[in-house]
Amino acid sequence: MIPVTSTALLEVSALAKAFGGNRVLQDVSFAVGRGEIVGLLGPNGSGKSTLLNAITGFEAIDAGTVRYAGQEIGRLPAHRIVSQGVARTFQLPSMPQKMSVMEVAMAAAISHHGFWQTLLHTEGVRRAEDEARHKAKRLLHEFLLTHARDLPASALSGGQKKLLGIVCALMGDPQLVMLDEPTAGVHPNLRNDIVQALLRLNRQGMSLVIVEHDMHFIREVCSRCIVLDRGHIVASCAPAELSSNERVLQAYLGGGTPQKDHATEVAP
Amino acid sequence: MSDFLIFSLTIAGIYAIMALGLNLQAGYAGLLNFGHIAFAGIGAYATGISTAAGYPAVAGAALGVLVAVALGWCVARLGRQLGADYWGIATLAIAEILRTVATNEDWLTGGAQGISAIAFPFGQLSKPWGALAFLALVLLLLAAVAAAGIRLADGRFGRALRLMREEPKLAACMGYDLRALKSRAIMAGAAATAIAGSLYAHYMSFVGPDYMLASETFMLWTMLMIGGMGNTVGVITGVVLVQAAYSLVPFAKDAFHFGSDLAGALRIGLIGLILLASLLWRSQGLIPEKLRKIP
Repeated sequence: MIPVTSTALLEVSALAKAFGGNRVLQDVSFAVGRGEIVGLLGPNGSGKSTLLNAITGFEAIDAGTVRYAGQEIGRLPAHRIVSQGVARTFQLPSMPQKMSVMEVAMAAAISHHGFWQTLLHTEGVRRAEDEARHKAKRLLHEFLLTHARDLPASALSGGQKKLLGIVCALMGDPQLVMLDEPTAGVHPNLRNDIVQALLRLNRQGMSLVIVEHDMHFIREVCSRCIVLDRGHIVASCAPAELSSNERVLQAYLGGGTPQKDHATEVAP
Repeated sequence: MSDFLIFSLTIAGIYAIMALGLNLQAGYAGLLNFGHIAFAGIGAYATGISTAAGYPAVAGAALGVLVAVALGWCVARLGRQLGADYWGIATLAIAEILRTVATNEDWLTGGAQGISAIAFPFGQLSKPWGALAFLALVLLLLAAVAAAGIRLADGRFGRALRLMREEPKLAACMGYDLRALKSRAIMAGAAATAIAGSLYAHYMSFVGPDYMLASETFMLWTMLMIGGMGNTVGVITGVVLVQAAYSLVPFAKDAFHFGSDLAGALRIGLIGLILLASLLWRSQGLIPEKLRKIP
């Protein structure tokens, strides 16, 4: 477990978010160190996705701060946060009908070539396009989507859409990637490939925050877990310590009966 | 007969430029712009006003483009807090406001009488050649607008627009500033449409508030829907089809001896019928948007 220090890549402190009277997140504070893989756990409705949305600018936060690489990003719009180097995927990604898988992947390449550069088709644009094409091909290959590259992105299966979501997140070379249930609905064989790919990316220096229900996945991948319950962080510990953590068991089972290992698999 | 053909083709070419401008906004960016004709009106009025003041035709067109782009920027900003459909209604209202202003500000726009005697650029050429030269100019500009549209749509900018149209959340999480994308799509479409408006004013030697009737915008939408939104060839096909239907009615009128009122109603009815048929049998348009294959 990497201690929370001032050199942390992501620092969330006293974050709060309410929808009307429903206080979804209250006083949430945690940090993610450089090169760390943090699992974000909690029963359904505990605020995991809202936390992801709040950090990535898809939900305005009510109070608190979010610092990324030392800079406050809590009030930036989503697109600015991405360009700082924080990418994300969605729990249920929906993909466009009229764009191929390859086009969607290429759209995710961050470059600053906009309207005029595209219109005038400058040398820089051509080079950036070539780079994006190669990168998209490589990532699609890595995430086993090469055979589907010319299909409409909406025609992919749910699991494949998740993979494409990960590909898109990686296209911009982010420092921190937040994955919302990357393996839910993904075939077991594919799941293993995702695990390997994520570990490989992590070795290259990428930090990851992963919302996940699958305990095996958490144990294989994460170095630390944060457990949310009704908008509060109730635990921050190594995956192995989860099943013996009283507050975690309480969050999932509503009681204190220890149920070895499978405790956190109760939630679907 | 050949005069009539040249006339119909010129008008079709001008409408095609406007329709391609709308296609950039509605087809690629998915923006429900129901006030698109205002940009053409601005182009036409800028031409009318500045040529009446003695400036050359190019200056009039440039002024039109500038004002239309500025209006496009404002319209895009206005839509910040509005949902897509409400924004569509707002654009319709803006176009109507501009039309009302044009009808009433006599000192600037000539009011309901409009501005007439706008110089025809190739007036010094003999009978068919002047009209042919103008047609060539229109087709040249149409080709330029079509080529620019295709390049924008296929490139990085268009990819972002099309992603925004279908999956705005995904586009935002890829780092695209949706507001900036929308403004640019609207401004680019406005520029092309203002040029078309300027051409129209020169061709008719006149500009009046009726140029900005809401029905004109819906005519452009009809062309897009019949031809195929998001496909340049489709859009031009739609324009030619609607224009052909429009041009053929007067011949039918002469052949079957019915009155002018009926002919006018028939024109609209016929186009409505084509629209209905295309919605029923080819809801994506005659030549729908295709998946773009990347090698």
